Amino acid sequence: MKKLIYFIGIVFLLCSCTKEVQIDIPGYEEKIVIDGNIETGQPPIVLISKSNDIYSPTDLNSYLNSFIKGAIVTVSNGTTTIQLDQICTDDLPPGTEQIAADLFGISVDELSNFHLCAYTSFNPVIWGEIGKNYTLTVTYNGKTYTSSTYINQPTSLDSVYWKAETSYPDYGYSYARLTDNPSTYDAYLWQVKRINIQSDGKPKDNIFTKTFNPVFDDEFVNGLSFNFFYENPMSFDDSTVQSQYKGLYHKGDSVVIKFSKMNQDVYNYFEKKYTQLATQGNPFATPINIVSNISGGALGVWAGYSPSFDTLYCQ
Amino acid sequence: MRLLLFLSCFLFSLQANTQENFTISGTLTNGSTGELLIGAQVLVPSIKRAVSSNNYGFYSLSVPKGVYIIEFKSIGLTDKKMELDINRNTELNIELQVAEKNIEEVQINAKKGENVNSTKIGQMALEIEDIKLLPAFMGEVDVLKTIQLLPGVSSVSEGGQGFYVRGGGPDQNLVLLDEAIVYNPSHLFGFFSVFNSDAVKGVNLTKGTMPANFGGRMSSVLEVNMNEGNSKKFKVKGGIGLISSRLTFEGPIKKDKGSFIISGRRTYIDVLMKSLIPKKSPFSGSGYYFYDFNFKANYKLGKNDKLFLSGYFGKDKFFYDNKNDNFLVDMPWGNSIASLRWNHVFSGKLFMNVSSTYTGYQFSFGSQQDQFKFRLSSSISDIGSKVDFSYFPNDRHKIKYGLSYIYHTFIPTSVAISAEEVDFDMGKPQKIFSHESAVYFSDDYDVSDRFRLNFGLRYSFYQQTGPFTRYIKGTIGHSDTTITYSKGEIIKFYQGLEPRISARFTLTENSSIKAGYSINNQYVHLTSMSAVSLPTDIWYPSTSIAKPQKGWQATAGYFQDFFNGKIETSVEVYYKGMNNLIEFKEGVLPTDNVKDNTDNLLTFGKGWSYGAEFFIKRKIGKLTGWIGYTWAKTERKFPEINGGKVYPAKYDRRHDLSVVATYKMNERWVFSSTFIYATGNTLTLPTAWYVQDNSLLFDYGARNSTRMAPYHRLDISATLYGKTYKIRKNDQGESERIPKKYKSNWSFSIYNVYNRANPFFLYVDSNGDLFKGDFNMKVKQVTLFPIIPSFTWNFEF
Repeated sequence: MKKLIYFIGIVFLLCSCTKEVQIDIPGYEEKIVIDGNIETGQPPIVLISKSNDIYSPTDLNSYLNSFIKGAIVTVSNGTTTIQLDQICTDDLPPGTEQIAADLFGISVDELSNFHLCAYTSFNPVIWGEIGKNYTLTVTYNGKTYTSSTYINQPTSLDSVYWKAETSYPDYGYSYARLTDNPSTYDAYLWQVKRINIQSDGKPKDNIFTKTFNPVFDDEFVNGLSFNFFYENPMSFDDSTVQSQYKGLYHKGDSVVIKFSKMNQDVYNYFEKKYTQLATQGNPFATPINIVSNISGGALGVWAGYSPSFDTLYCQ
Repeated sequence: MRLLLFLSCFLFSLQANTQENFTISGTLTNGSTGELLIGAQVLVPSIKRAVSSNNYGFYSLSVPKGVYIIEFKSIGLTDKKMELDINRNTELNIELQVAEKNIEEVQINAKKGENVNSTKIGQMALEIEDIKLLPAFMGEVDVLKTIQLLPGVSSVSEGGQGFYVRGGGPDQNLVLLDEAIVYNPSHLFGFFSVFNSDAVKGVNLTKGTMPANFGGRMSSVLEVNMNEGNSKKFKVKGGIGLISSRLTFEGPIKKDKGSFIISGRRTYIDVLMKSLIPKKSPFSGSGYYFYDFNFKANYKLGKNDKLFLSGYFGKDKFFYDNKNDNFLVDMPWGNSIASLRWNHVFSGKLFMNVSSTYTGYQFSFGSQQDQFKFRLSSSISDIGSKVDFSYFPNDRHKIKYGLSYIYHTFIPTSVAISAEEVDFDMGKPQKIFSHESAVYFSDDYDVSDRFRLNFGLRYSFYQQTGPFTRYIKGTIGHSDTTITYSKGEIIKFYQGLEPRISARFTLTENSSIKAGYSINNQYVHLTSMSAVSLPTDIWYPSTSIAKPQKGWQATAGYFQDFFNGKIETSVEVYYKGMNNLIEFKEGVLPTDNVKDNTDNLLTFGKGWSYGAEFFIKRKIGKLTGWIGYTWAKTERKFPEINGGKVYPAKYDRRHDLSVVATYKMNERWVFSSTFIYATGNTLTLPTAWYVQDNSLLFDYGARNSTRMAPYHRLDISATLYGKTYKIRKNDQGESERIPKKYKSNWSFSIYNVYNRANPFFLYVDSNGDLFKGDFNMKVKQVTLFPIIPSFTWNFEF
């Protein structure tokens, strides 16, 4: 159906012309954006920012200046409640610079130019554990926002493999086989990073990257064993990759696949998020407001993940 | 049935009081083609009696015993006057001949007084010959586009399917082609209508109080009547245009007994694209075409019986075949429609029509990339039958009664997906079976010379029956449960009384006031997931969750003719209330429709619209045309949409102006132009942006809170007729005009003369990467059509 919408969109755009217009778009109200997650064996990490008027400047400064400092953030696992620490880019614990840079989407060098803060805890008591429910509470400017999420039992992939494209023997997609549990609702997230050591002694990728639509649930595959494939998401931002090889892994790549499970409300958030990203600017899709799982009028998500890991050798 | 018996007794009692009257009845036809004349007038001036012929050319008139001059009139045809001594019931089948001279006089007589005298409120008829003179987009004459030039009727945009009447949705219009329902009256997303102008005789739109013989839709009835075919001689006509061509063949089956017409057209955009797009282009395998066929035959079985068989078959198809990346798409959709009708005249007072109709609509979309295959399809199939009686007991009553039945089969969505060897579990296609029926009675009653009342009652019934699987959605973390209904099991039953009343009070010979009130139930609904109408919009019947839409309309108007009927004017106001309107819930995705009932994704609310329509029409003379202006407001309120707050409908238009003018310069040149101005449509745009996990996302504002720039456009056209005669010297050496057997004309049109960039839709366009510092975001407007000149060559022999 999405393909259909794209297809019709293409047909219309082919026979039309576009121009920029300045029209009144009424109804802007500033909202708080909470982006929090917790996964097995990892501390909770919460970023808090604000939404911006559609006509406001969209440069990096405006975005980075929209981060909120001074919120009270707590996470509870049902027995213990911990207030998260505010960690700012100009006062990072040693060795965490790269993690912080990736978290905010900027380079390590730029970190010191901004006073950006995230909320986390180094107390392992509140780090993610399978089978536990985690409640997030954010208090800012007299308003309180709450949400809770659950860390599920992980599901491992049956197998992972790489297959060269017929026309390009050295390039191919990543494939996997999965057996879905017929008795439970399951939703999955696919993330990857290549760990080949390059000539500078560093791995190809530092962090896990999500594909264009990295989430799916078992609505149509409940209880089935099936094969599926995903593209190489890193290749699209890599200017050294020729266009015909975009989306493909190179023969010899070693890819760590992080295959996580999540709750249905978290999946619903991501399903709508990725649909919105895919249909932004397409009139044939209805406007999709991404429904947050956080109460109190905030945008964003509080997500618990239980990953399993596999390494795919592309050969 | 009991109701019909009761009606018959009641009608008999009406007749019993009028023993002194005699009936004049018969059929009116065009003398040169044998076509039945719809809406032609029969007048008895001495006693101020007038009736018009029905859709089958039949008329009936009661007069006291006496000698009368009876006049027969139809637009473009020469009047016929007869003096008759009426001392018994008389059958008069009249042929009116084509007018050679004094067209103006003919026209003025034919339609005089109709605006002021009838009880019809919010009803308009258009002749196909008038429509053909107006500017046509890409040379394709389009009755639906012309309808949209009338006050109270609008299109959503250039690319919108269907039309919108007085604030009602496109599904609230009952579109009938020879009495069979047309679900999707558009080709190519609404750029062209399915009605081939060569096969159509005329259209009649009711947007106000719907007569009781129509139902099942809330806003309007658009009756499209096909030509019967020439019963006198064989004829071929056609047209060759820039993007399509038409060909029609008609003639007698047996002279003056029966006739047939076959008409077809096809676009050739695909052929043009093939030659224009280079083979290496990714779009090289793409194309689009539509074609349609119309067929109609009629035969007189005897003096009192006539059969009509009509058919329509049309298909649109998009295809995309890119061998470079192994990507294939095909998207066909289309209607198939058939109707078989039998007219029987029991007596001059009682006319019956029995119709059996079939309507099918299919839509399919398929794509294939490597091993991944996807197919989405939906369909509708209706089998219906109805019996309509027209009874003319005396000169004061015109009574109609009858019953109708439709068996619906809907497949709203069926999806199949496979990847390599695995077929995904998309659930069984939803199939919904339902029965819709109605009985009705109405009387057009002349209470006095000045006061006429049309009152009617319609009672409608609807039931959904099995087999059916009802999905009951589990809450988060819980799986769904289902209820299965067996074949024939009644799942849900609805019924409703639909009163219709309208009245006319004559103030002077040239002015009257009219008012009407009606209630309508609607058992089938169109649901749309996208911001514009598409063939993917899903028709969905009423179920236990999707209740029937219910609407009421109150309307009043003042009607005045000027200059002996040359100019008609009217002002109408209306208020319309609508309950159980249907929308998809916020945030519903197309895939949610699978392994579920569509109605689980729907949400229900109410709407209202009100407005005033001003209309002035010059019918006669070298310069004809009309100006229509509508002021209107249309709003919706759904508990689950927009936080339960009132919001404007997407086609809420405060101002809508149409100016239509046709100038007949001489026998060879006719010029025409249309101008449209309309308040911009509403839409929902993002009001804010934010970032989550390094993705830039939008937060949307209130539903339909943004309004696009106004829409306005001027189209012009010129038609050049070839000489219809040859000049020859006769034996006496005098010049003589000999009519040519072969006729042709050139039609030139310019669409959007001043190249206005009208908004089709707006969207927020973003480019670059926020984190690389080259990001920018703009609101952009998409315009579909710039100035487009076109021409068509039409011929007839």
